[in-house]
Order: sequence, then C-alpha cells, then structure tokens
Amino acid sequence: MASVKLTDVKKIYDNKVTAVHDFNLEIADKEFVVFVGPSGCGKSTTLRMIAGLEDISDGTLEIDGEVVNDLQPKDRDIAMVFQNYALYPHMTVYDNIAFSLRLKKVPEDEIYERVTNAAQILGITEYLTRKPRALSGGQRQRVAIGRAMVRNAKVFLMDEPLSNLDAKLRNQMRAEIILLRQKLDTTFIYVTHDQTEAMTLGDRIVIMKDGFIEQVGTPQEVFDTPVNLFVAGFIGSPQMNFLKANLVMGANGYEVEILGVNIPLNESQNEVLTRKEVQSQEVILGVRPEHTTVLFDNAEGAIECTIDVNEMMGSELHLHLSSKNNDKIIVRLPTVDLTQEQRDSLSYGNKLFITFPAKVMHLFDPATEKSLIDA
Amino acid sequence: MKAYSDLEFLRLNKWQKMLYKLGRFFSSIPKGVAQLFIKLWGLIKNVFLAIGREAKDIVSTFIHGDWKTKVSYLVMGFGCLARGQILRGLLFLLFEIVFIGYMILAGAYWLSMMPSLGKVGPSEVYDEIFDTYVTTYNDNSFKILLYSVLTIFFIIAFIYTWRINIRQNKIAEKILASGKKLKSAKDDLRSVVDDQFHKTLLALPLTGIIVFTVLPIFFMVLVAFTNYDGAHDGYASNLFTWVGLDNFNTMLSWSSAGGTQSYAATFGEILAWTLIWAFFATFTNYFLGMFVAMAINKKGINLKKLWRTILVMTIAIPQFISLLYVSKMFAKDGIVNGFLMGMGWIDKALPFWEDATWARITVIVVNIWIGIPYLMLIATGILMNIPADLYESARIDGANPWQQYTKITLPYMLFITGPYLLTSFTGNMNNFNVIYLLTGGAPTNPAASSASGSVGYTDLLITWLFKITTGAESKYYLASVVGILVFIVVALISLIVYNVLPSIKNEEDFQ
Amino acid sequence: MSETSMKRHMGLRASRAISNTLIYVLLIAISIIWLIPFFCIVLQSFRVESTWQVGYVIPKQWGFDNYVNLFSTDFPRWYVNTFITAVCTALLQTVIVLCMSYTLSRFRFKMRKPLMRFMLILGMFPGMLTMIILYRVLKDLGLTQANATPGLILVYVASSGMGYYVSKGFFDTIPKSLDEAARVDGATRFQVLKKIILPLSKPIVIYTVLTAFMGPWGDFVFARYISFGASAGMNVAVGLYNWLTPDQINKNYTMFCSGGVLVAVPVTLLFLFLQKYYVEGVTGGAVKG
Repeated sequence: MASVKLTDVKKIYDNKVTAVHDFNLEIADKEFVVFVGPSGCGKSTTLRMIAGLEDISDGTLEIDGEVVNDLQPKDRDIAMVFQNYALYPHMTVYDNIAFSLRLKKVPEDEIYERVTNAAQILGITEYLTRKPRALSGGQRQRVAIGRAMVRNAKVFLMDEPLSNLDAKLRNQMRAEIILLRQKLDTTFIYVTHDQTEAMTLGDRIVIMKDGFIEQVGTPQEVFDTPVNLFVAGFIGSPQMNFLKANLVMGANGYEVEILGVNIPLNESQNEVLTRKEVQSQEVILGVRPEHTTVLFDNAEGAIECTIDVNEMMGSELHLHLSSKNNDKIIVRLPTVDLTQEQRDSLSYGNKLFITFPAKVMHLFDPATEKSLIDA
Repeated sequence: MKAYSDLEFLRLNKWQKMLYKLGRFFSSIPKGVAQLFIKLWGLIKNVFLAIGREAKDIVSTFIHGDWKTKVSYLVMGFGCLARGQILRGLLFLLFEIVFIGYMILAGAYWLSMMPSLGKVGPSEVYDEIFDTYVTTYNDNSFKILLYSVLTIFFIIAFIYTWRINIRQNKIAEKILASGKKLKSAKDDLRSVVDDQFHKTLLALPLTGIIVFTVLPIFFMVLVAFTNYDGAHDGYASNLFTWVGLDNFNTMLSWSSAGGTQSYAATFGEILAWTLIWAFFATFTNYFLGMFVAMAINKKGINLKKLWRTILVMTIAIPQFISLLYVSKMFAKDGIVNGFLMGMGWIDKALPFWEDATWARITVIVVNIWIGIPYLMLIATGILMNIPADLYESARIDGANPWQQYTKITLPYMLFITGPYLLTSFTGNMNNFNVIYLLTGGAPTNPAASSASGSVGYTDLLITWLFKITTGAESKYYLASVVGILVFIVVALISLIVYNVLPSIKNEEDFQ
Repeated sequence: MSETSMKRHMGLRASRAISNTLIYVLLIAISIIWLIPFFCIVLQSFRVESTWQVGYVIPKQWGFDNYVNLFSTDFPRWYVNTFITAVCTALLQTVIVLCMSYTLSRFRFKMRKPLMRFMLILGMFPGMLTMIILYRVLKDLGLTQANATPGLILVYVASSGMGYYVSKGFFDTIPKSLDEAARVDGATRFQVLKKIILPLSKPIVIYTVLTAFMGPWGDFVFARYISFGASAGMNVAVGLYNWLTPDQINKNYTMFCSGGVLVAVPVTLLFLFLQKYYVEGVTGGAVKG
C-alpha cells in the first residue's frame, strides 16, 4: 500500500545500450498500472529496476516517499510474480508460500494462518503438500501469486504472469487477477505485451516503445485518443487501418480527401486543427475496423474496395480489403443482419463500399507520426 | 580472393565450395592477425587510458576534497574514521601500518637485493675451536627472488588499496553532500553476506590461486632469465644470478655442442611428436568413443546399462595402476608377448617399448583404451540430446544410416563439443601420466639425450620438462624456458581455434 | 501385400538382425579387452610361486601371501596418507570450487569476464612448472618428505578454484529467476545460496566431492616431487611405482598387483555407487566446454 514515483529513471547497460530513457511516472496508492509494449521496449527492465533486480543507472525511484535506489530487493517491501513462476522446486507449495514469512521470522502459527488463507482464496488448499513439479501450469501460477500475496507488501509486481498459459486459462486467470486486486487492495504494477490484458486489467496503461513512454492514460483514453501512430496501431484488435489521405481546406472548414472522396471534419476536430494552425498537407488517416460501415452498393461519400480475404469469426466477419491505390483495410461486419445473398457476395475479388463518420477518424502527421487532432 | 554472393555460391559444386571456403579461410588469416594486433594495441591503449583517468581522478579528488580527504592521501582510512565509519577506517589504517612495517623491516631489503640476487655466496671459514673448515651460508638467491616477487605483489596490492581509500573519500563526500547517511559498520558487515557476497565467496579461492599459481608462475618466468640449477641452487652450492636472454638463446640456437644435437633440434623433434600425439590421442578417442556410444545406444541392443558400466568402471581405477600394469603387460617378458609366443604366432618378443615407432603406436593404442570410456559417456549424453525428429525427418527424406551420421550426428556433435575438443587437445599435449607411467619416455633417443636429461622418442614436452628438473643437473632455468614455450604453443593453438569455433562465441547462448 | 514388398520387409528385419549381432560381438569383444588387464592383475595378486613378472596369467599356486606381505611394508602408511589426503581434498576442494563457480555463474560484477579470461590463460601454463618453487616453499615450511601429506593437501586445494567449469555449467542451468524470487522474498545473497541453490545442487556437489576424492588416489607427479624419496610421506601411486622400477620389479611385482587391487576396489565401488552423478557432471561439463 504505497505510491511509487519514478523520476528520470534511466537504464544504461555496460555496452552503452540505453534500455530505458528518462522514465517519469507517478503511481498512486492502490492503483493498478500496466506497462505494455512490444518485446524489447524496456517494460520488464523498468519493472526489474523497481524490484531492485537491476541497478538504476540514473534518476530516482521512490516507494512511499522514500528513495530506494540503493536498497536491496529484500529491503524494498515488494512482492513479485515472475513470468516462469520461479517456484522453488525442492519445496512444497506450503513451504514456497511460507518462504518469505519464515525469512522474516513470523511465528509458525501466523504463517499457517496466512498461508492457508491465501491458499483458500486461490483454491489451492488441496495441493499444499505437493511439490511444484506435480502441478499444472495454472496451479503453479496460483502458487506464484499466493507466494506474493502472503507478504502484504507495499507494491505488487507482476512480470508477464499469464504469458506461459494457454488461451483459455489465460482468460480465466485474468478474471481472477481482477478479483484478487479487489481483495488485496494494494498498488499493482503489471507488465505485459498483450494489449487485451492491458486494457482489461489496468486503471492506467503505460505504453512503451524502444525505452520511451509513448502514452500514459486510462484504457478508454489510449483507445479513443492515441497520441501517435504507434499507440494507435498497438491498442485495439484487429489493428487500426492506416490510409494515405490529404487534409484540405473546404468550404466549411477542414476536410479529409481520400480516393476522391471528401469527408468534412466535425466541430471539435476543426477547433483543434485551427488552434494548431495546421495547413493543408498529406496525412495518415486512421480508422478502426469496428468503426467502418460496409455498404453493398455505392453511395455518396463511400470508398470503393475489393475483397482479398474473408475471415469468418462467428458473430462477425473480418474482411481484408484493398482500396484503389492498394491501401489495405480491415473491416468488421456483424453477421446477424446479413442475408444469404449478401454473404455469398463476400468472396475474393468482389467489390464493396465503406464509409466512416468524421468523429471516428484519427489523423497523423506522416513526418512526426504524431496525432494532429487527439492531443 | 574474389567474394561470391550467396546465390553465386549456391551454384558452385561440392569441390568448388570446399575450395572456396578454404581459400576464404586462408585469405582471412592475415586480416585476422592484423585484427589481433589491433585488438592488443587497443587493450594496451585502454590500460594506459584507464591509468590516466585514475591519475586524473586522484588529482581532482585531492583538489576538490575537504581536509579529511586530503589527510587520507597520507593516512589511509583517516577520512573514514573522521566521518564515523570506524570499521572501514581501522581496516585501511591497519593495512597501511602493516605495509609500512613490512617494507621497513623486510621489503626494502629484498627489493634492494633483487638486481643482484645475492652478493655473498656460501664460504668456508676456518673454525679454530674445532680446527676445521666450516661452511657458512650467506645470501640466499632463491629467497631473494621469491620475497622480492612477493614484495612487488604486496606493493601492487597496497597501491590498489590506497586508490580504493581515495575513492571512498570521494564517494563519502558526495553522499554527505546529497544529505544522505553513510553506511555504518553494521551495514558493511551485512553487505558481506549480501550485495558484496561475491567478494566474500571469491576471497578464499582467489587467494589460493594467487599464492599457489600466479605467484609461482611469475617466479618461474623470472627463473628463465637466471642460471638457477642444481649447481647454482642459490644457497648451499652457489648463488644464481640474472643472465638475460642467454637461456632462450641456448634453447633456440641450432649450433650443436660436442657432436650432439642442438637444443633447438631436440625441442623441434619433441614438439612435433607432442603435436602428433595430441592429434591422434584426441581424435582416435573422439571418434571411437562416439562409435562405441552409438553402438550401445542403438535401438534393439539390450543390456545397455551393463555395457556402459563395464566401461565406466575402468575410469574409476586409478590410472597409475592400470597404466603401470599395462606397461608391464607389453614388456618384453610380459603377458602379451608371452601369450603371442605361447600361441606360436611369433617367435621373438615384439618390441612394444624398445622400438621408436612401435612405442609411439603402442602409447596411442593404450591411450584409446584409457580414453574411450570417458568419451563414450560424453557422447552418450550429447547423442541423447539430439532431437529425434531430426532423424525422423531425415529418414523420410530418404537418408541412409551413414548419411544420417555424416549429415546430422557428426555436425551436431562437432558443434557442441568444439570447446571440449580444444581443451582435450591441449590437455593431451600436457598428458604427463600416460606417457610417464607407460614408457617413461623410452626408448632413448641417443642423438638428443645429451641435450639434457635422457630424452626418449615418446617424450612429450611436459615429460621432458619434468626430466630436466629432476635430472642430475636439475636445469631449472631450462625447464622454465620449456614451460614458457609450451605456454606459447598452447596459447597460439587456443587463440586460432577460438576464433574459428562457432560454439564459443557466446557463453550465454546456452543459458 | 505383394511379393516384392514382402521381401523388402523381410530384408529390413534380416539386416537389422545381422547388424545387431555384429554389434553384440563387438561389445563383447570390447568388454573383454577392457576387463582383461584387471582380471590379470587380480589373478596375479594371488600368485604365490614367484614374485616377478611371468608370461602366463593363471597362477600355478594360489594364496594370500602377497596381501599378507603388504603389511610388512610401508604400504599401510601410504594407504592412510592417500586416504587422509583424499578426504581432506574432497571436503576443502568442494567448498572452494563451489564458491568460485557459484559466484561466476550468478553475480555480474565488473571483473567477472577478465577474471575468467585470466584463469583461462593461467591454465595454459604447464602446472608442473610451479612444482619447483612449491617444493622449495613447502620444504621451508617443513611440509615435504615425511610430512608431505599436509603439503600435498595444500597444493591440491589451493589452486582448485581454477577447475570451476563443470559446476559453473551446472549452476547456469538453474534459472536465475529463482534467485530473484528469493531476493524479492527477503533473502540475502547468502540465504539464496543456502536455502535455494544448495538444496538444488546435490548432483554437482556429489560430482565435485567424488572427483576431488578420486584425484589424490591417482596423482603421481606432485606426490612424488613433494614426498621426494621419503617413504613415510608417499601416497600409494608413488609407493607402488617404486616397486616396478627395474631393481625392485622382480621382488615386488605380485605385491604391486595385490596393492593395486586394494587401492582399486574401494575407489571403484564408491564410483559405481555414485556413477549417475559422475555421468551427469561429465556430460554437462563437455557440453558447456
């Protein structure tokens, strides 16, 4: 139960490779923060610096207001769950969970109390006398969480805890972590490369790339207003579509011109662009697959596309399309309202038309890759 | 040499590919050597740069430091004591006192004697009471050399500690300036089992290595530049002294004295045999061991454990027993000759140890007998790790067992055991036990014998070295020269192989 | 099934049978060749009619004379010397090797790589060279000749840190996240070693103890140099070697055999008992290089 504050934290390895650049973040007490990004983005390194497993090259790290840069992991009062669980193979589940308490010389009665309590919450009571080797992946995961739980530590760190589980277990454990979080009521820092985990778990998401923070915000914020191309592409599945377009000045303000179609922007977008004094220029237009409307017949303001691939997902179709100048576009199309005739027409090479309203559009400067309207 | 692109290379036939690769290898050697020198130069430069940096830091610490720091330049640990780090300060101070005490009482004397290695040798003095000449012993060259080397090590350690003492002051000032507290003695003691635990763990092993390996090697390298031998033992007979490069000249000169072979010729002969021996000893064992392992592991062979245990058992029996016994089995009147004659296959005993060529082949064959069980174990472990699906896919692709061996098993084995082959090769070059216990170097090489000790046709450099030190003359200086040359040969081979081997490049690859 | 394919199937089975038979023959031949010297040595240790080397194997007269005679020589002394050396070396060397290899496997400090490179280079010097000075130094300390045993232990143990490769290879296979988890759980580095790593390292500890124990039984050259002709300070290798020098061989050949048997039997039994660990260590070590 503590706040964590990172100020200009840097990690530079001996061979002069900078893994984390000036990391600044304040994590409030009892907040659940998720670091997310592709592999090698520095998210795990940052977490390990917080844990004390990596030296901090520069900057300060405060836990609960105290600078802990030079403290050993054991003196930082943190608990951590590792990607490969890191259960001690020679100890039973009970001893694994009790290990940290024994080091702290907690009386055995209390250890018993706390371990069995944690085991009950996690549903592993019947495995307490087994060795880790006799457990399944999901059970091991629970033991690892249990080991961190009994500590009542100030901060709870999790390093890709679900990535070694299969898809079904992963969903289940994700839900359990949300439950756990409500029970423990402490500060969580969670590292993952999976944007779905990040979106579902985090109060706030820290999106990282190449050692830099790209954006920090609530799941809704980073989804609705991505500040740059990378964030826009990283959050959301399937990925956001990026199309080459032009920003032009129309009769009633800014318009986006794409493949001969002009789409006027709405009031708030106009306001931002005007404030920033943006000139007519080439832009990258971003539209999420779920925000497009598919038309079977041409209409005013619709863009003509050809179908490349048709993926049946059950409740919806994922259509991979090509525009006239060969931009690749993915759209989602709910199946429930489609007639049989329409379904049959959705095959390779056939034509299709898409539209989208101004409010779902994201515009990015091709040079800086920054968002023109979302910041 | 013309470089082909990948696609061009693929068009070549097998022989062209091989030739091309060989050509590339040889044409890359000059570049490799050049790079080596560049690397060495870079290393030397870095050392000097580092020293320069240190010196600069020492000066700047003095200029910017407070008075406590400045006093610490003379009185080690003063800064620590003044800032309340009593334990550290006392340790520094104690070290300085011990060092100064040692230098005054002994170190200075040893160092002053080092250039001459002793001035007064043992002398005969007339003793009036007993009416006889009594030998008095004076300077001891051996001790002078040994203790001056020790003193030099001690001085280096002192300079290093002095440097740490200064850095401590700088760090302490910085910490205090930022408003934090210094580590207490309790923190220091705790760090011995925690963040500084590696130093605690290494203290004992490294002390052992420095005292019992580094120091002796340093000493023996110095001996190569003296005339230390049985007749100049530095104390009881005569003092020994520096002779510069004379011993290297003796060893490497081709001029022969007194009608016998020169040292260089003898050295060359022994080196050639050492390399031949190491090559055969390594590779016969390697391939035959692999073969036996594959035979035992073949599907459908029963009693795998029994076969393995029989072979492994022979590893356990101390080598001196098996080697000495086998050496007697092959003797003129030994069991082997007795058996062969008893069967009527030969009339006359075979000269297993008496003829140079016979002896050389016999030691290699006996070494196979010694080495196969060991190699069989290693090969078994690795063979089991080769993924079975490689073989399955090869079989579906139509490979016969021989092709499976040459295309899958062998490349895999060679890749994994590359480093092992290297250590095994250099180990065999220095395989004292097998040669000494089997033949003792015999049969004697009459041409080379008078060079030093009695050199035989199966002598390796290492057994020769041993003989030189134990012979009547005990030419330690010559042994030392041989030792240095052995080092150079081993280092060269290792360096070349290390740069060729793919599996050595990254230690962490296996983690 | 057509006739040709029937034939092909039969052919496969037949050729496998032939190749397996060949391999059995080979394995039996190998077993005989490898065991024959040891059979001979055992048989000759029971020979009573003559004490010198003969061209036949099976004794004409059997008896325990050679074993009994051993006890009127210095052999028991050599045996005790070697045993003490082996036990002390096994204990101390294991501690040193484990300290070294654990540190090099687990800690990332600035001098780590230079240190490893330095020890590699150091290992290229023929160790025998250092004997000359070590002998003189030990002599000054009074640890040579009749007192060679403590001197020998010192020499064996002191530099054993350089033989860290095999156990470092083993430690490298224990996931580092175990250390990290324990440190986060509140353990000091020392507690990590004691409570996590050591319990998981039983195989390599046994391997190290075993090899360290077996080393002194076979060491010849250092032992001979340091005992330097003093029978009371010799180990079995040096003592028995002297029985096979040309002037002694006719008197002591069969006694050498019986002494050899007495040395080999306990060591071999121990070895076979712990074979599993040895095999693990050797294969792991070779793969690691």
